[in-house]
Amino acid sequence: MESKRKFLLLIAAALAAVILGIGLGSVMISPVKILTVLGEELLPRAQTPGGGASRTEEGTGGSGADASRAEEPGESGDNASRAEEPGESGGGASRVDNVTRTLVMQIRLPRVLLAFLVGAAMSVCGVVMQSVLKNPLASSYGLGVSAGAGLGAALVIVTGASGLLGAILLPGVSFGFGLITVILVLGITSRIDRGLSNVTIVLVGMVLSLFFTAVMNLLAALSPAYSQRINLWLLGSFSMKDWSSVAALAAVLVLCLGVFAGFSREMDIMTFGEEQALGMGVDLKRCKWILIGTVAVLTGTAVAFAGIIGFVDLVAPHVVRRFFGSSHRRVLPASALFGGAFMVLCDLAARTLASPREIPVGSVTALLGAPFFLYIYFAKGRRKG
Amino acid sequence: MKKTLLKAEHIRCGYGGDPVVKDISFQVDEGESLCILGPNGCGKTTLLRGLAGILPVEGEVSVEGQSLAGMSARQRGRRIALMSQLSETYFAYTVYETVMLGRYVHRKRGLFAGKNPEDESIVEESLRKVGMLPLADRLITELSGGQLQRVYLARTFAQDPQVILLDEPTNHLDLKYQVELAEHLKEWAGRGNRCLVGVFHDINLALSFADRVLLMENGRIAALEQAEHFKPELLNEVYGLDVGAYMRSALKRWEEGDKNEPLSKPV
Repeated sequence: MESKRKFLLLIAAALAAVILGIGLGSVMISPVKILTVLGEELLPRAQTPGGGASRTEEGTGGSGADASRAEEPGESGDNASRAEEPGESGGGASRVDNVTRTLVMQIRLPRVLLAFLVGAAMSVCGVVMQSVLKNPLASSYGLGVSAGAGLGAALVIVTGASGLLGAILLPGVSFGFGLITVILVLGITSRIDRGLSNVTIVLVGMVLSLFFTAVMNLLAALSPAYSQRINLWLLGSFSMKDWSSVAALAAVLVLCLGVFAGFSREMDIMTFGEEQALGMGVDLKRCKWILIGTVAVLTGTAVAFAGIIGFVDLVAPHVVRRFFGSSHRRVLPASALFGGAFMVLCDLAARTLASPREIPVGSVTALLGAPFFLYIYFAKGRRKG
Repeated sequence: MKKTLLKAEHIRCGYGGDPVVKDISFQVDEGESLCILGPNGCGKTTLLRGLAGILPVEGEVSVEGQSLAGMSARQRGRRIALMSQLSETYFAYTVYETVMLGRYVHRKRGLFAGKNPEDESIVEESLRKVGMLPLADRLITELSGGQLQRVYLARTFAQDPQVILLDEPTNHLDLKYQVELAEHLKEWAGRGNRCLVGVFHDINLALSFADRVLLMENGRIAALEQAEHFKPELLNEVYGLDVGAYMRSALKRWEEGDKNEPLSKPV
């Protein structure tokens, strides 16, 4: 079937993006090596008895530790290239050396996977928001989730909590604030308008979103010591790239995707508007609460790990619908794949384009995304017109 | 004696503030078509929305003696369906997908509920009835208003409720499709345990289509009559126009080419 072939293509593209994301950087790693490492790590003890596992331990304990410290992002971006140099000398050997192995497994792969997961999560949230609110301009931004989560993070930063405490507080508080924002939006909306109508939700979300952004800016302005950190965080980054955040986000994403998939037919119907949905037997209010609540959980988690990264959630669903139609059975998985791959490429651009500096990924998404979006939209639109 | 299928008792509903529909009661028998007439703003659409459960109502709506108030949305959707006025959509579903969504209330919910051959044959049958089967794979965003209207009608047929409420279903349709649609609807209603309530703008079509006519004025019933006993004079006061004279003169102008005949006369 036609759409099956498109899906295979999309999966291939996503895998290619992941390989590229792992391979490119201040140290280049060939796809063969990446696949070798991945094969040995993911299929442990299969072909090299006793080898795979012990070598990993060596890697993390020994020379690999230097590498993992070195490519720590953001502030220390410029010594990354220097510290990674040694990896290159051993790169020519037929067996993959430990430095490369560590670079792949401890640094590049978790970062790439986190980017993929965040991209997938945001795109899927965009799909759901646009359908539930029957508004092609809707996104998690519009609902104020991102702004709320951002405000939470800014508060944590301003209190000066750092180190381990900050590492736990920051995602926790930003997630909580994201969730509270949605509850506020829906609560205020149901006060104004019992039927929870879309226009009211969008309006209230917009107002709260702008308000929280203003408070955030105020915080940044009032505490110059932290303003740079706040601003950096607000533009998003995949610096917190350890396996535990990957695992946490992956778990939340899978759960939320399950919820969305269970409501895909309801979402199909909701795109026809509230009146038709009600007339067709959809329990609109309940669906809205569940779906928007799930969006809040997923967005809050993603923002907590990666900061505020916009644009993907708005644009990925539109691009995907151009190729896969509007049915959510196809749009949801396709958006996850597309958004993930797109985010991996954006992160790749963010850390390589101006290397050794890192461009905030939140601005790369729009930088690469806007022209791409216009191209897709107008190229396909013209053929139809 | 036919049994009563749809019963509305002392319906009041609106959008907050003063109710638009003020105390309306009527009932519709099995196989019957009721047509609601009335000038703009008299509450026709609001009444339909209240009956369909889209607006909260005071009073009671029941189908086959069962009140709709306590029902889940799905249960209600199997008994009563509203075909609303046309609305544009941005989301590009195919015609087939759109009509299949009408089966929502009958299909199993959840992730792994597959397609059922019965659903597929009902969808095809509904599409054939409105003449849209050849366009089943087209995107609804590429259809004309009239085609889209027919797709929504097919979707309502696919939903297969006991009561279909229609809000000006013949808008956007050519004369040919208006007449065909009226025939499809009557045929549908005749298939047992079903009935129709429709708001029509076109008085001619309404009177030829309906078994009974409910005339609304200011949220109340101004007249409720069998269609064959319905006198156009009843409309005059409500519409503020001599409706019968208008129709006769329009026909005259058309048949005799008499352009001097004035189109409307004061009541």
